[in-house]
Amino acid sequence: MPSRIVGGIGLSHVPSVGVAYDRGKLQTPAWKPLADAYVPVRAWLEKLKPDVAIVVYNDHGADFMLEKYPTFAIGAADSYAIADEGFGTRPLPPVRGDAEFSFHLVESLIEDEFDLTVCQEMGVEHGFLVPMNLCFEHGPQGWPVASVPLQVNVIQHPLPTGPRCFKLGQALRNAVSSYDKDLRVVVLGTGGMSHQLQGKRFGFMSEKFDQMFLDELERNPEKLAAMSHHELMEQAGAEAVELIMWHVMRGALSPQAKRVHRHYYAPMTTGMGLITFQEPQAI
Amino acid sequence: MCGSLCRPENREAFKRDEEGYMSRFELNESEKNLIRARDFAGLIHAGLNIYWMLKLGSVTGNSLYRMGAQMRGESYEQFLATRNFKDAV
Repeated sequence: MPSRIVGGIGLSHVPSVGVAYDRGKLQTPAWKPLADAYVPVRAWLEKLKPDVAIVVYNDHGADFMLEKYPTFAIGAADSYAIADEGFGTRPLPPVRGDAEFSFHLVESLIEDEFDLTVCQEMGVEHGFLVPMNLCFEHGPQGWPVASVPLQVNVIQHPLPTGPRCFKLGQALRNAVSSYDKDLRVVVLGTGGMSHQLQGKRFGFMSEKFDQMFLDELERNPEKLAAMSHHELMEQAGAEAVELIMWHVMRGALSPQAKRVHRHYYAPMTTGMGLITFQEPQAI
Repeated sequence: MCGSLCRPENREAFKRDEEGYMSRFELNESEKNLIRARDFAGLIHAGLNIYWMLKLGSVTGNSLYRMGAQMRGESYEQFLATRNFKDAV
């Protein structure tokens, strides 16, 4: 049986969650609403039994510098280092990869005209690690799933368009389902939701926009993906443009995928969203 | 320069001798002045990417929220008072 996508998750990758995680603060009143939302998600993932997580994220200047910043890059290694993004290296085990699966994805994606930068060495940071911490428990020996980091430029304009990201998801679905080993795959689309971190508008959030985005991601994902960067940034803050990475995840799911969980929490400067989808007959 | 601060030895070198560290890079005088003044709004205006500015924040003891308060033209306390749950830092 070939590989298949069994589920998708859209979730924020706020760096302070990683700090709270490392300091054991996720059960404090400020973080508990977020931590609690992931309890049923981890239970669901245990039933879903994914072998691989494809994590769509952006690097914030840990492994990719602005001198050469790829629009799309994909990891193709058996292990990924924990990168130092300027605040020290987090005490986490290296991330387990699956180079053979990655190279299959690369071949299929390039065949499908997505010419990604192929990284046989890659360090991962909060954009990747915070979602992993929220969804999977790691032990001293490592992580319960193998991962494929898929990096998208959402920090230095020009950025790939929303529709392009959605199509990348569709190509990713083709790539997964043409792999002849029986792997169960989840796709994580990370980043956002509303936030602005620069200028006078620092701290801007819009729950109204974020709830609309969650609604539309479920019901009209292709129409939602067509929203321009300008519109997105105006309505939800400059850094909310990270949400285009959720379109990759959504594009990778079938039209029959059903929403399972949904949560929203906005304590400080970022609307932290969570939404999960499950494919038919996945459990 | 900010990208170089992803290495612990470089962060130490910056903290030890900020002027000497800045002189290793092709920064002009006005860029150096913005760094000396910890003028975060000015740095963004001059084209520094926010995620690279965070690395500068790390070596100068300025958290994202402190930089943000300054960019808004508020004190840190004033800024925190505008948040839904200010303990989630």
